[in-house]
Amino acid sequence: MLDRRRNSDDRMPVLMFLSRLLKPIATLALWLAGIGVVAMTVAVAWQVFGRYVMNDTPTWTEPAVLLLMSWFILLGSAVGVRERDHIGFEVGLAHAPPALRFAMRLVVEVLVLGFGAAMLVYGWQLAAGTWGANLPLLGVPQGMSYVPVAVGGALIILFAIEKIVEILIDRGRTPPDPAGASEA
Amino acid sequence: MELAILFGSFTLLLLMGMPIAFCLGVSSLLTVLYMDLPPVVVFQQMNSGMNAFSMMAIPFFIYAGDLMMRGGIAERLIRFAAALVGHLRGGLGQVNVVTCTLFGGISGSAVADASAVGGIMIPQMVKRGYDADYAVNVTVNAAIIALLIPPSHNMIIYSLAAGGRISIADLFTAGIIPGLMLCAALMTAAYWVAVRRGYPREVFPGLRALLLYFAAALPGLILIVIIFAGIRSGVFTATESSCVAVVYALAVTVMVYRQLDTRAFIDATLAAVRTTAMVLLLIGTAASFGWLMALLQVPAQTVAFMHSVTSDPFFMLLLVNMMLLILGTFMDMAPMIIICTPIFLPVVQAFGVDPVHFGVILILNAGIGLNTPPVGSVLFVGCAIGKVSMGEVMKTIWPFFGASLVVLMLVTYVPAFSLWLPSVFR
Repeated sequence: MLDRRRNSDDRMPVLMFLSRLLKPIATLALWLAGIGVVAMTVAVAWQVFGRYVMNDTPTWTEPAVLLLMSWFILLGSAVGVRERDHIGFEVGLAHAPPALRFAMRLVVEVLVLGFGAAMLVYGWQLAAGTWGANLPLLGVPQGMSYVPVAVGGALIILFAIEKIVEILIDRGRTPPDPAGASEA
Repeated sequence: MELAILFGSFTLLLLMGMPIAFCLGVSSLLTVLYMDLPPVVVFQQMNSGMNAFSMMAIPFFIYAGDLMMRGGIAERLIRFAAALVGHLRGGLGQVNVVTCTLFGGISGSAVADASAVGGIMIPQMVKRGYDADYAVNVTVNAAIIALLIPPSHNMIIYSLAAGGRISIADLFTAGIIPGLMLCAALMTAAYWVAVRRGYPREVFPGLRALLLYFAAALPGLILIVIIFAGIRSGVFTATESSCVAVVYALAVTVMVYRQLDTRAFIDATLAAVRTTAMVLLLIGTAASFGWLMALLQVPAQTVAFMHSVTSDPFFMLLLVNMMLLILGTFMDMAPMIIICTPIFLPVVQAFGVDPVHFGVILILNAGIGLNTPPVGSVLFVGCAIGKVSMGEVMKTIWPFFGASLVVLMLVTYVPAFSLWLPSVFR
């Protein structure tokens, strides 16, 4: 019991530090994605306006919107990892005994972290590999469309680490603790 | 073995509570690693899956619906519907169904429908002496109508999941008659229960008031016309029409209804990010999953399997419906459409079913599944608003389920309900 309390006291500041660090990042990502939606609305509206009013369909809007959309998706869903608003199946989790639930949550977050890492590495690779060529009609490097994958991956890693720390602390608080949750 | 890894890891991760978008991504990654393919291909597929211009219509339609909801359209639709059908037996139940149908033409999302209409109607119904379980049942079942009435972003998800080959204009048009049939069936069920329980009727406010309320709701209802006529006539693409919907929703709520302030605008924008980013990521990771399924010939094998089970299209559709209903009980709408389309569409097509027709069947099935535990997002919303337990609601949901199932069978076995209207417009 004493041991457990010492552990959680040790870990709490870690979580607080992480939350204080990551909350503004998540808010920023959410707002950027929100600005992205507004920008996409303006761009597509401009495309319609251009075609019917100015009689001159702008060609840059479609590829620009696709690029914005990648940012919107990956920033928004990374925030979703932190806020847990992703669509998931939670019945199994709710009915599992505590020890199993701990293991399930931990494995899930570690795998999410792993997927984020893969997004970062391979997104980066794809971006670097296609940087030489330009996107048609837009004049920016083709690799730009993979940058959001890499950045989204990096954010997912950060938010998943926070979740893992949270899960380990929860575990530290729930007796009994036979295995002794090891520090990440 | 590859298949076992793909589906096994997906199911296992799903049961462990991993968000579905990641289940699809991680299981694809594991399978690719096992098959010794370069892992980078998963992310290439994911990125190209997210690179469809028509996908943009999904956040736009949800955004437009959210703006309309915060801007006061729901109240006006309810007042109009109350004047229209409130004097029928179980008046507020009928009002609820009609409002859900009209609002469905604005939001296209069953969850939004249930929370916007239910948020106002359920407390009102309880205050007027209706039982809470009835109020919730009417709301959550009527909310499904939104999925069929255009603009339904789920139709766009279906079109994308089918590889973008199916015309969104045709899908939108195909949903109209089945949507109205569901509306009529649910009104009948609501009437039947209302008579048995002796619920009151409201007074008819007079033709003048009806016209007045109609005029107040009209700016919102025009949105349906703009979207539908715009896409149908080819003036707009689906994405452009959804963007016009956002601009129009802003104009109406800011300038006509004057109910949308800056705070509500920001809330609506951030809500659009929260609710759609994950669905779009899901479409992305499902693209890698689907690519692997095609590589491992899952669709072809399913077709062969179904042919070995039956050669009768009638029986095949019954089997597919049963499978979809069962899957629907524990899967949410978007993942259900994204995962089931590449598997079942080739099957039904091999039996001569039109892909537009199947879209309506699939969406209706998945919609009914939104009201069944263990995963029933619309049912959850309704129960939370009505402050009743899911168990209580499920006890009396049967007349409404019955009505929905009758419509499902009619839509399944009479293709004309879905296909006649698109053929008129074509």
